[in-house]
Order: sequence, then structure tokens, then C-alpha cells
Amino acid sequence: MWRRVLAVVVVVACGAGVVGYQATRPSRAPANPRVFIPSPSFFTDFSPSFRTSIADAYYLFMVQYYGEHVNGDHRLDSLPAMVDLITTLSPHYTKAYIFGAFGLMDAGRPDLGYKLLQRGFKENPDDWRFPDYLGFFAYTFGKGKARDAVVGDWYRQAAALPGSPPYVKRMAAAMLGKGGQTEKAILLWGQVYSAGDKYSQQRAVAGLEKILPADKAARMKAVAPLYGTMPKAEFDALIAELFKGYK
Amino acid sequence: MTAAAALSVRDLRKTVHVGFRRRAVEILKGVDLAVAPGEVFGLLGPNGAGKTTTIKVVLGLMRPTSGSVELAVGGLGRVGYLPENPYFYDYLSGTEFLTFCARLFGLEAEARSRRVAALLEDVDLTAAAGTHLRKYSKGMLQRIGIAQALINDPELVLLDEPMTGLDPIGRVEVKRIIEGLHERGKTVLFNSHILGDVHDLCTHIAIMQSGRVIWRGTVPEALAEAPTLEEFFMKVVTA
Amino acid sequence: MNQLWAIAVNTFKETIRDRVLAVIVLFALLMIVAGLWLGSISLGEEGRMLTDFGLVAVTFFGLVVAVFVAAGLVHKEMEKRTVFILFSKPVSRPAFIVGKFFGLAATMAIVIGAMGLFLFALVWVLSKHPSGTILVAVLMIYAQLLVVMAVTILFSTLGSAILASVLGICVFVAGQLSHNVLALTRLGKNPVTEVLSWVIYVVIPNFSAVDVKAGAVGEQTIAWGQIGLWLLYLAAYTVVVLGFAAAVFRRKEF
Repeated sequence: MWRRVLAVVVVVACGAGVVGYQATRPSRAPANPRVFIPSPSFFTDFSPSFRTSIADAYYLFMVQYYGEHVNGDHRLDSLPAMVDLITTLSPHYTKAYIFGAFGLMDAGRPDLGYKLLQRGFKENPDDWRFPDYLGFFAYTFGKGKARDAVVGDWYRQAAALPGSPPYVKRMAAAMLGKGGQTEKAILLWGQVYSAGDKYSQQRAVAGLEKILPADKAARMKAVAPLYGTMPKAEFDALIAELFKGYK
Repeated sequence: MTAAAALSVRDLRKTVHVGFRRRAVEILKGVDLAVAPGEVFGLLGPNGAGKTTTIKVVLGLMRPTSGSVELAVGGLGRVGYLPENPYFYDYLSGTEFLTFCARLFGLEAEARSRRVAALLEDVDLTAAAGTHLRKYSKGMLQRIGIAQALINDPELVLLDEPMTGLDPIGRVEVKRIIEGLHERGKTVLFNSHILGDVHDLCTHIAIMQSGRVIWRGTVPEALAEAPTLEEFFMKVVTA
Repeated sequence: MNQLWAIAVNTFKETIRDRVLAVIVLFALLMIVAGLWLGSISLGEEGRMLTDFGLVAVTFFGLVVAVFVAAGLVHKEMEKRTVFILFSKPVSRPAFIVGKFFGLAATMAIVIGAMGLFLFALVWVLSKHPSGTILVAVLMIYAQLLVVMAVTILFSTLGSAILASVLGICVFVAGQLSHNVLALTRLGKNPVTEVLSWVIYVVIPNFSAVDVKAGAVGEQTIAWGQIGLWLLYLAAYTVVVLGFAAAVFRRKEF
């Protein structure tokens, strides 16, 4: 009888020790901003069937790494290597490119983010999100006279891809106009007008007003290329608005 | 040895290679045996005499090094075999196991189910037909083993130590089955260490030692040379 | 054919009634569900995480079942001496090997199919976009495991069950790295190593010719022609391996 009691006491004491040990472990030490990330070539020799799994594992690691450091020590030293690894192993992993690009932006390397998005667009030429974000990056961090034209061109490419939302076309038209690509901007505003909804039409008219010349003859010459790009009734309605008040 | 023997073994030799150096060990050193149709033939001998090896070569489980085996009954399709300490598929029920064995002989569905039901009744296992073999007692396993040996209604039945591990009732039942086979004109060859059973059942016996048959004849011939079969056996083996 | 079918059915019953199998499958399903947790920390990539890691779980646990059950199939019969019951009847040894393979293949179809359907249902519920490509990936995993089973059965006719299991796993890993061996054949300047590499490349099953998971995780579109050809290759490979296993088993003594 006493042996059984002793056995129970020993087991319970050990159980308490196990729980107590775990409960008293110190909280995690600050994560090291520099972690070892193998080069992509280390993993590309693995079976292709497991590359995406490795990419996914490192993607999760990257998300946790970003979360640990972005509000902490702000050091994301290993982020470029992580993103490079993930996107090399899984070139069509759109989320990884986009998250990585914004992560690199937070890490103070928007240039690397921009290059990453370019690489992503090359691998995924049908995904409108890449030129859309490239336009954002160019707008936010670009400098110089050519900036607006570059931004506009990115948004134009995004607008041409299936699935792009209406605002992309508006952005493209606005930035091309600002960048001096007036002819392209006019055509794009025409397409925005043709979207049909009242808001798009208002925005198109406002956008065209900003870039069309005031002189009636010059204005008519500038909008002439829109003829034939939309139904006649729409064209007539647009012209009526653009030449309201003109005699 | 006659051409009409149900089973004829001539100068059978078997050498195996054991160990890392593949040392040659001759297990059968020229076995000669003939079992006539309808006989109940007892194959006796001390452990390691080569009785089981002889049966294995007869059944094709081992290849002879030299010598010949003739099965006049018409190949393995007409032979039934119960190994020593048999192990069966314990995840199957009695019915499933016998059905599986029947399928191996190519019996059609209707013939199969009739045969299985009849055999289960013969070995008194109808009540346990649906029970998994892992729940069978030693005696029940031996009986299902005999049933599977008879599934194809064989002409020649080979039983290796059929009484091993059986209680007295089990032994009586197995003896009854062997007697029944004899009455139906089947040829039975069995190994046994229980000389009392050999005395009761066998018409002919052969004694093996060290890979050879050292004596063959009828049970009366043996008893003419010694008062009991045990004494005769000891006399032959120690000679 | 009767014998082959009888042995296949018997093997199916033997393997499907094994409780260890049920435990492994249950554990596999739990691991698949664990993919949900991974998805929760993926910032909106739940569908991809669940699919990818779910397919890894199906592969891993399918491999465990395939290798350890296949290794024991033939070996258990010899160890427990049920071969005496079998081959004292007019049972063809090749029919035994092939029947064992088909029986286990049927069990594996149920095991892999159950895991695959569970994963498919989970992804459907989670992402609301059912993708049949998951089932295609599961089919391809199944095809690979059939080859591993055949190879393990071959090894089990040559040696112990443990050795057969280990070698079966090695063949699976080597098959995933098959393209590296091909690269070796093209790198060597020595004709002997070139020929040797080529022989090894042909002997090892090519599991890396097709990216099994790519279509399921959206990494690429499914190339049906390529997959069909690869499946035919795996089927032919299995036939060759089973042929060798039958030839080896024919010479075996019990």
C-alpha cells in the first residue's frame, strides 16, 4: 500500500516539476536581426515538388521575423536574403514579392523593393498588382522630372492587365498627364469616361480639364483622337462637357 | 518402389549453405521413400533427422540438390498440407480463411461456399466460423489447419506433427479425421513424435536419422522385432 | 488471375484491418489540420499554406505507410510461416508478389484518398475556392508511393524488413534528387563516371521530373501531357521492379 502511495507521490512530484520548469523559463531573448539564410542554390537542387514547401516555410519565417523587428529594433538585416530565397524557389508567389517589397521599404531599402517587384513582374507578367505597386514605389521614392512619366507608364501597364480595378486607369491617366505624356493621358481619360459610371465620368472630365489647352481650336485638336475610341453618343456627351461655355 | 506409388522419393539429397562463410551442410543424404495410394504412412525420426525438410522438398518449398520426387496424384493441386505449429492469418475469420484457401485452388463461388461450410462442420468449427483466428485456441487452430489442408479434397495429405499441443479431446478429433481420410481411400503421410498415435493410425512407417531412411516397413513388422513401437524405435535409432 | 485476386483481397484485408494504419492516418489528418494554424500566421495565405503543408503531410505519412507496410508484407509471411500454407498449394510465386502489391495498392488508395479528400474539403471550406488540382497532386503522390512500395517489396525479398524499409525511404529520397544525377552525367569528363552516372540515373526512379505540388499551390498551370507521360513512366518502372521481385522470389526457399 505504501509503495503505491510513494509511486503516486513520485509521479505527481515529477509532473509538478515538469510544469514548473516550463512555467519558469525566462521570456524569449530578443531575436537576432541577423539570421542565417541559405542561398537559393542550396535548395534549388532539391526536388521541385518540395521547393514551394521550403518557400512557404521561409515565408512564414519572414513574416514572423518582420513582425519581431519592425516595431522593435527596426533591423531587418536578413530580409533581403529571405525574400530572394523565397521568390527564387517560388517565382509565382505574388504575396511574397509584395510583402517583401514593403518589408524592404520599411527596412530602408525601397530600391531593393522596387527591383524585387520588377523581378516579380517579369515572372508574373499577367498580374496587374506588380505594375500597380511599381507605380506606387516610383511615385513615393522616385525623383526628377521623369518620375511622373515613369509612374504613369507603370499604371498604364497595370490598367491594361485583366482584373485591374478602375482606379488604376485613373492613376495612369493622371500621372501620364503630369509627366507630360498628354496624348496618352487623353486617350486613357477617354477610356475612364467610357467606364460608364457617373464618378468615372466626373473624374475623366476633371482630369482632361487639367491637361487640355484652353484655346478652343487647340482643344478640339487635342480631343480629336478620342473619336472612334468610344461610342458616338459617349463621345458627343464628353465633348459637350469639355466645351461647355465655349462658343 | 513401384510406379503406382502416390508419392515416390528417390535418392533425395539436399545441401544448404549456412553462416557468413556459407558452410555447406548436407541435410538429406539420399532419402528413398515410396508411399502407396491409400496408405497412412508415418515418418518418424529424432529431431534434426530431416523429416520436415523431406516434406518441404516434396512440396516444392525447397529445391533438391539432387534426386527426384514424383507425385502420382497430379501435382500440388491434389495435395493437402498442414505444417507443424501452423500460423494462419489472424485477422481473418475461419470462413474467410478457408474461402481464401479455396480461391487459391480456383474453386468457383458456389462450390467454394459449399466446401467451406462442409469442412467447418467436419472439423466442428461452424460455431466459430465468424470469429477471427487470433481468438482461436490451439486445438481450434489445428482443426482449421486440417480443414485448409482438405479444402481441395486432396488425394495425398501431408501432416507435420498434427497432434502437437493438442489436448486429449483434440487428439481424438484429429485421429478421427485421419481415420476418415483413410476410409475414403486418401493417402496420408504424417510426421509425429507421439508413437502411440503412429501405432493407432499408421499402416506403414519409415524411420529417418541423419538425413537418411534407416528403416521402412509396416507397423506389424516393427512390432515383430520389439514389444512396443517405442522400444523398436529406440532399437533402430541407437543401432 | 484467381490466385492473384485472392492474394490481393487477402492482403487488402490484412493491411486495412491493421490498427497501426488507423493511428497513422489519424495522425496524418491531425497534421493536415495543423496546417490551419500555419495559415493563421501567413497574412492571408491560408489556402496556400494548408494546401502545401497538407500535401507534404500526405506525402510523408503516405511514405511511412507504404514503406513499413510493404516491407513487412512478404517478410511477415516468411517469418510467420504462412508461406508454407500458401506455397504448398499450386500458387504461382509471381502471382503472390503481384497480388501482394495490388492488395497494398488498394489499401494505399483508400489511405491516400482519405487524406486527400480531407485536405480538399478543408481547403474548400477555408478558401471557398475548391481546386481540383489538389486531387491531381494527391494522385501524383500516390503514383510515386506505388513505385516506392514496389521497390520496398523487391528489397524485402532480398533481406530483412528493416533493411527493406530503410532502402525504400532511401530510394524515395534519391528519386527526388534524380535531376542532380542527370546533371552529374553531363558534368563528368571521365567516360566511366559518365556511364556510371547514367546507369544510376536510369535505375533510380525519377520523382523530380514533375513538380507534384506546383499546380495545387498555384505556382504553375498543370501540364497534362507531361504528367500523363510521367505517370506512364512510373507505371512501367513499377512493372519492371515487380518483375525483378518475382524473379528473386521464385528462387527463394522456405
